[in-house]
Amino acid sequence: MTEAAPQEPILVIEDLHKNFGGVHAVAGASFVVERGSITALIGPNGAGKTTLFDLVTGFGAPDRGAVRFEGRDISGLPPHRIARLGLVRTFQLTRVFAAMTVLENMMLAGPRQPGEVLIRLMVSARSARHAEEANRERALALLGAFNLESKAADYAGTLSGGQRKLLELARALMVEPRLVLLDEPMAGVNRVLGQRLLDDVDQRRREDGTTFLFVEHDMDVVMTRADRVIVMAEGAVIAEGPPDAIRADQRVIDAYLGKARSR
Amino acid sequence: MSFLHPDFWIGVGVIAGIYGIFALGLQINVGFTGLLNFGQAGFMSIGAYTMGMLVVNGGWSLWAAMPVAIVAAIIAGLLVGLPSLRLRSDYFAIATIAFAEIVRYTFQNAAFAGGNQGIIGYDEEWRRFAAWLSDRFAALGLGDNSQLPLFFAVWVAFAVCLIALLVLQRSPWGRVLKAIREDEEAAAALGKNVLAYKLQSLGVAAALAAIAGFFLALNVTYLYPGEFDPTFTFFGYAVLILGGFASYGGIALGTILLWTLIEGLRFVDLPLSSGQLGSLRFVLVGLVLVLLSMLRPEGLLGRRAEMQQRR
Repeated sequence: MTEAAPQEPILVIEDLHKNFGGVHAVAGASFVVERGSITALIGPNGAGKTTLFDLVTGFGAPDRGAVRFEGRDISGLPPHRIARLGLVRTFQLTRVFAAMTVLENMMLAGPRQPGEVLIRLMVSARSARHAEEANRERALALLGAFNLESKAADYAGTLSGGQRKLLELARALMVEPRLVLLDEPMAGVNRVLGQRLLDDVDQRRREDGTTFLFVEHDMDVVMTRADRVIVMAEGAVIAEGPPDAIRADQRVIDAYLGKARSR
Repeated sequence: MSFLHPDFWIGVGVIAGIYGIFALGLQINVGFTGLLNFGQAGFMSIGAYTMGMLVVNGGWSLWAAMPVAIVAAIIAGLLVGLPSLRLRSDYFAIATIAFAEIVRYTFQNAAFAGGNQGIIGYDEEWRRFAAWLSDRFAALGLGDNSQLPLFFAVWVAFAVCLIALLVLQRSPWGRVLKAIREDEEAAAALGKNVLAYKLQSLGVAAALAAIAGFFLALNVTYLYPGEFDPTFTFFGYAVLILGGFASYGGIALGTILLWTLIEGLRFVDLPLSSGQLGSLRFVLVGLVLVLLSMLRPEGLLGRRAEMQQRR
C-alpha cells in the first residue's frame, strides 16, 4: 500500500446506497473529508446521517458504493477492523459501559494491548503488566484533559449525560484514531460542557492532526466550529463547502434552514 | 446414616465441588460475558466421555486422556459457538440447549460410547492414586473415608480454577469480556473482536465443564448418558443465582449452600413417603431461590452496585 499523499482526503464516500425495506435511507451519497479538518454533517431528520455513519464504521454494509479511508476501501469490513485502522465513532445515544468504572472504560479502548490476548497473557505476563501500566497512565492523562479524573473510580453509569458524552469522546481518542465520527456530540449536553467538548475537539485537531466529522443540529455550533459543512437531504448530499457558502446556498435554505426557520 | 456423620458430608462435598467447577464456567459466560450458555452439560459429557473412551477403547493413560478431553470440549465449544454466537443472545441460549441434547442422545445411541450401558473401567489409575492418597490421609489422622481423596482433589481443582479465573478477570482480557457484557456494539466500535472473545469465553467454560466431568466420572465409576441431562445445567444455574452475579467467589458459597440444603433436607422427619420427601426437598430449594431473587437479586456474594448500573 502506498502512503497517502497529504493532500488526499482522509475519507472518500462514493455513491453510497442503502435501502431498508424500500426506504432509501442513503441514496447515492458522495463526499470527501479533508485530512485535519473539522467537518460538519448536517441535514433534516431522516436525511440519512446516522445510517451513513453506520455504513462508514461497519455497522451496516452498503448496498452499493464505496467507503475509502486513507485510500483503502473499507466498505464491508467489520466494525472492529475499521476501528483498528484508526476510524472511530461515537453514538447518538451515549454508550458507556455502565457497570465498569470510568477508568476501565478508558483503558478498555487502548489499542494493541498484549494483555487482551490469552496466550500472551500466559507466556509474557510481565510485558502485559508493563503495557497495562502505560495504558493506565495514558487513560488518566486523557481523563485529566477532559476534567474527568475525579470520576475515574466511579461507575460510568453514575455520570450525567454531558459527562457521558465527554467520556465517550475521550474513550474514542484512546483508540489513537486519525478520524473520529461524532454523532450529535452536543445532544443532551449543557452549554458549558458542550463548549468544553468542542474546545477539546479543536485542541486535538491542532495538536495531533486528528480529523473530525460530526453530525450536529445546532447551527451556531456548525457555523462557528466547522471548517467545512456537508448537507444531506433524502439520502444524498445536496451541498458542501465552507460555512459561509453553505449559509448562502439557496438549495440548503430550501431543504433545511428554511424549514427550520418557518417552524 | 446420621445427620452429622462425616462420611455423608464428604460425599455431599464431592458433589458440591463438581457443581462448583461446572458453575465457574457458567459464571464466566453469564456473569462476565453476558452469554446465556445452557449447553454446559453437553460440554461436560464430551469431556467425560472423551476421557473414558480414550482410556477404555484406546488404552490411553487416564492422565494423558484428561488434557486431550479438555481440548475436545473446547473444540466442541468453538464449533457450537461459531454459528450460534452470531445469533441474538436468546437464540444462542436455545442453540446451546439443543446442542447438549444432541450430544446426550448421540452418546446414548452410539456403539462407540457404550450406548445406555455406558463406559466402565477408566478409573483404575485414579483408584491406585486415591489409595496412595488415602494412606497419607490416614497417616495424618484424617480417617479412612474412601471418598476423602476425591473430595480433596475436587476442591484443590476448584481452588486452582477459581484463582486462574480471578487472575483472568483482572486482566485486560477480562475487561474486554465485561465490556461485551455491557454493550457489544460499543466494544466493537472500539476495535474489539466481539465474536473472538465470546468464543474464548465459551471455550474456557467448556474446559471447566470437562474438568467437572472428570470428577463426575470418577465419582460415579461408570459413565452413562442419563448423568448429563439438562437438569445438570439448571442446577448449575441455581448455584450461580445463589452465589451471586459476576462473582467467582460466590460460586463456592452457592454450591456449598445448595447441596447442604438439598442433602440436609433428607434428614427432615415428616410422615411422608420417601418419594414425597424427595419432591418436597426440591420444592423447598425452589422456594429458597425464589425468596432470594426477591430479597437479594444479586445473590449472596453478587456485586449489587455493579448490577444496579445495568438498568
